[in-house]
Amino acid sequence: MTDKFHTELKDLKKSVSEMARFAFSMLQDSQVAFINQDDALATTVIDRKDQLREMTVTLEETCYQLIALNQPMAKDMRTIVCSLKVIAASERIGRYGKSTAKIVKEIAGKPHIANMMSLPLMSEYVLTMIDDAITAYETENKMILDGFSARDDAVDALRQSIFRESITHMMENPKTITQATFYIIIARYLERCGDHACKIAENVLYMETGERVEIK
Amino acid sequence: MSGTTIISAKNLNLWYHEKHALQDISMEIEKKKTTALIGPSGCGKSTLLRCFNRMNDLISHVKITGDLRLDNEDMLCDSMDVVSLRKRVGMVFQRPNPFPKSVYENVAYGPRVHGINDKKELDAIVEKSLKRAALWEEARDRLNASALGLSGGQQQRLCIARTLAVEPEVILMDEPCSALDPIATAKIENLIDMLKEEYTVIIVTHNMQQAARVSDYTGFMYLGKLIEYDRTTNIFEHPKEDLTENYITGRFG
Repeated sequence: MTDKFHTELKDLKKSVSEMARFAFSMLQDSQVAFINQDDALATTVIDRKDQLREMTVTLEETCYQLIALNQPMAKDMRTIVCSLKVIAASERIGRYGKSTAKIVKEIAGKPHIANMMSLPLMSEYVLTMIDDAITAYETENKMILDGFSARDDAVDALRQSIFRESITHMMENPKTITQATFYIIIARYLERCGDHACKIAENVLYMETGERVEIK
Repeated sequence: MSGTTIISAKNLNLWYHEKHALQDISMEIEKKKTTALIGPSGCGKSTLLRCFNRMNDLISHVKITGDLRLDNEDMLCDSMDVVSLRKRVGMVFQRPNPFPKSVYENVAYGPRVHGINDKKELDAIVEKSLKRAALWEEARDRLNASALGLSGGQQQRLCIARTLAVEPEVILMDEPCSALDPIATAKIENLIDMLKEEYTVIIVTHNMQQAARVSDYTGFMYLGKLIEYDRTTNIFEHPKEDLTENYITGRFG
């Protein structure tokens, strides 16, 4: 454990945060593409999948090497463990962005129903949670994570309400079934992304305090 | 500490001449567990280890104050029989130091000093001790060969067998692997793991990963003080003191 190691650890955090931001932008752009029915933007999101995978593998390798070569302890160890979890959660978030983009292409040309229900609001909630979780990781400021459980509850409630609303529309008008089903799926993706934001938050708290706190 | 205490120190202070080498050390060592002492060179960890079997008595101008107990018996009082204390609290040193005798004689030496001369009994002790020190399989056919012909790792395990032969309760180890290669080190570490089923082990080590691997409790010492003493997992995962954190993450030392 030398200064070289701590420089490498700092570089790792910077790269992981760039990767997390990259994945975040995939989800964010997929939501914009969905709301604006922007087929071209959806395509760019799908195209970013390979780069996301590449970043994931490279960064995981870096973590494994840092562990193998330096046998880190205490906060150094917790930082690497947290980084691995941030990488995994971010990859999932990016991939949900890609899946959403695929739906956008699937329903291209079909007008939105019911003013997209609460999906734009839900995506705003979730994107802010992810943004805050990444910022907390970057700045090591755990205060940002106060109230995360309540925010996750709000996201869950929105998913539930979108689900009910979609079912109602489908029963009233079977022509909406395809569209409404995709809304339910997107809401489910967003809810999962919210959970990944909570996982990042939990790991930042572990990195900072060494304590395991469950955010649910 | 959740289990039974075997050694307890209360406000232990030690001076070498004017140098205040141990300052107000209070700790309880749990029975049949492994406790590691870590810290930078000169922090007092070996000095503290040597207090536990009064090896510091051999150094002139040493003054000790405070309370130190083995199974609640005062270890520092004049009436304490140091020879029997060192039988109860054995020690293994940094460099393997077998006697220039046969493997057998090295292990039988201690029991002989303590009055056992029956050949059969000694044979049994030698076999049992070598088995406990995980050396029997390698040494059974060369019991009469010189101990100095063994490899470094084997010599160190022989020294452990020699310590075990007098049935100690506590085994002190002062950097037992620092002169050994990684394979011999791994063998000693596995041995320490087995030993704690029957003995209390206290180990001083510079190798923090080793402390993390072998011990149940870890004490971090700095400039003669015991800065933090806790379960090993707590010390290496999330120490409470900044000094401990800085030391184990290599920011100083």
